[in-house]
Amino acid sequence: MKFRLLFALLLFAGLFAMAAQAQEDQVTVTLWMHNHAPRVAIDEELIAEFMEENPNITVEYEIVNDFFTALSTALASGAGPDVFNQFTYYNAQFYAQGLLAPVDPVAMGYQTIEDVYERYGEGAIGEAVLAGDTFNGVLYGVPTELSNYACYANDDLWAEAGLDPATDFPTTWEGLTDVAKQLTVRGEDGELIQRGFDFNWYGNIYIILHFDGMVRQLGRSMIDEDTYTAHINTPQVARVMQYWNDLVNVHELGGPQYTRSRDAFNAGELATECTFGNWGTAGMEAAGINYSIHNIPRFADAVDDIGFAGYAFYLQVNANAPREVQEAGWKLIAHLTSQPGRYLNEAALFQPVAEYLATEDFANNEIMPVFLDEFHRSAYHPRYAGAAEVGDALGRARDRIILGGEDMETVLQETEDEVNDILERALADIEAAGSG
Amino acid sequence: MRRLYRRLWSETSVISRRQYWGLIFVLPVVVFFAVFFLYPLVTGFILSLTDFTLLRPPVWVGLDNYFDLLKDRLFLKSISVTFGYVFGSTVPTWVLSLMAALLFYQKFPGREGLKLLFFSPLLPSVAVVSVIWVVLLHPNGILTHLIGPLFGKAEIAWLHDLQLSPIVIVIARVWSVIPFYMLIWLAGLTAIPQEMRDAARVDGANRLQSFLSVELPLLRPTAVFVMAVSTIAAFQGFTLQFVIAPNQGGPVDVNTTLGIVIWKYGFQFFRMGDAAAVSVVLFAFIMIITGLQLGLGRSDDYSLN
Repeated sequence: MKFRLLFALLLFAGLFAMAAQAQEDQVTVTLWMHNHAPRVAIDEELIAEFMEENPNITVEYEIVNDFFTALSTALASGAGPDVFNQFTYYNAQFYAQGLLAPVDPVAMGYQTIEDVYERYGEGAIGEAVLAGDTFNGVLYGVPTELSNYACYANDDLWAEAGLDPATDFPTTWEGLTDVAKQLTVRGEDGELIQRGFDFNWYGNIYIILHFDGMVRQLGRSMIDEDTYTAHINTPQVARVMQYWNDLVNVHELGGPQYTRSRDAFNAGELATECTFGNWGTAGMEAAGINYSIHNIPRFADAVDDIGFAGYAFYLQVNANAPREVQEAGWKLIAHLTSQPGRYLNEAALFQPVAEYLATEDFANNEIMPVFLDEFHRSAYHPRYAGAAEVGDALGRARDRIILGGEDMETVLQETEDEVNDILERALADIEAAGSG
Repeated sequence: MRRLYRRLWSETSVISRRQYWGLIFVLPVVVFFAVFFLYPLVTGFILSLTDFTLLRPPVWVGLDNYFDLLKDRLFLKSISVTFGYVFGSTVPTWVLSLMAALLFYQKFPGREGLKLLFFSPLLPSVAVVSVIWVVLLHPNGILTHLIGPLFGKAEIAWLHDLQLSPIVIVIARVWSVIPFYMLIWLAGLTAIPQEMRDAARVDGANRLQSFLSVELPLLRPTAVFVMAVSTIAAFQGFTLQFVIAPNQGGPVDVNTTLGIVIWKYGFQFFRMGDAAAVSVVLFAFIMIITGLQLGLGRSDDYSLN
């Protein structure tokens, strides 16, 4: 009887230990992504596939609206996801706070970190592609979508003005002003009915993405991400600001008061728009716009042959997640970035994997060569903590000059001082977090 | 003595029992208030004493955030913007909503239909109202077509003109809240016994004299309520400035209220400690102004009771 009881107890203990071990081996990874409807279906399919191949890993996939705020507050409360994608505009902030785990090449199925870089191109190309999430020489994520801008022309509106985008699309900003005048249609009282060209005034982020791109054409970015210093009261910034100001106040071709440029283009009220990525074509086709794609103009005396800045969303792993969850997370990321062709063709999201760029599928893509060409000649926007606050200050400076008519030099100097204060505070924060 | 003691004990026991049940009945509200109002209030105040970047645990800095606010350009500007918005949107609201209430207190054909129409701005959410205003305020939009010719203008940058933009936001605000306060005034007018007006008439007062000497003083409790509630709501101004104003509070911060500053600092700039300090200041402003209003309005001279 005693023996039976002992046997039963041992059996129970053994079963309990096995169950506990199985429980221990089971890993749950929470994944948060921003909303992009065409991408979600592919994500879900790949995640199901991943869980089938890895029965010990459960992925809890969540699409989060108001992504940036939700992600920040969730991470603050300790309820953040294990894996998330994030915009390069904010990556430096997350890096500065020590929230990003370095890429684990072995967990992703590579031998070394160099293999990860090589997947996106040999040598400098791979480094340039992954620069968006590389800080102090350490890689913190891989891109789910790389974006940059090109100019789109509404071919019908150009034809109505007696112009052919194929031959008449200007290569310089100076030329674009002249063409924009020809494309502009005014009403009887002088009101703008159709704009020839306008900038994207909505959101301060565009100051960094396209205003700063124009400044870089003239030789120097407004923000030095290495030294965390601002260079705003410079001849280059003044020159670009004057160009924007003239467009609004001298030539009266556009301005922030009109319908947002992307909406206006898709409504057939704007003949030329230069802040759509490759993903913009779906909206244009739905709106029945007959479009053509062109390179971003340069200043006639540009010293750097670059267009607007590139940006990307990177898949990253939460540095505070347990080690085994981090490893499972990197394994999942490797799987989610293994189908660049599907993401481009079905969701218009560009994952610049070198092997895919060499395929016939990519070569046959009608619009991507222009974007890839722009990206290879351009670079990511400057990446630094405090980007949103700096963007706010730069947007205010632009509006003080163009809408308020304030003295440009005074405003640029005050803004430079303000931005330097913001960057100084951000740098101190990085040092306090020990991420520097 | 013993009998008296027993009687007292018995009464106390009854009172205690009553208090016990009373406590049970108010407990849900007390818990709700504690969890959703008191706890955030106390937590907010504690956060205002920390350097909290959202992404890292808060670090205690004492009153530094408050001292920093004294030289914070955006915060200082937002105080003048907020007070301008509060004054600009409350005083016209009080006057116009009272006028509307006086109008709808009269009997005239089609009154109920007109009242329903007048009340309609309250039905959609502020966000929807904001989007409607954005469409109306297009530089070539319907408002420009109506008003532009009076000033010889083919286009008006309603929201991007630094002087015009805050006025437009105030007008949108006043338009959207008048119906609500009109209803409050109307309830106040209805509560005044008709005999009081009749007595004034008998004494020889005309309609205006009757209103100024009888109705208006008797509306004092309603006025205090309208003033306090509308002022608190205006101090918390956020949605219109967020949705209608260019770049959330622009251009050049002319529509950046304290509410917008709190949002920017907390959720855009990762400065949650500063955001919490601004909210404590906003709370203090609201308490002081509301306290003053309630204090000034406290009087039994004209109470119907």
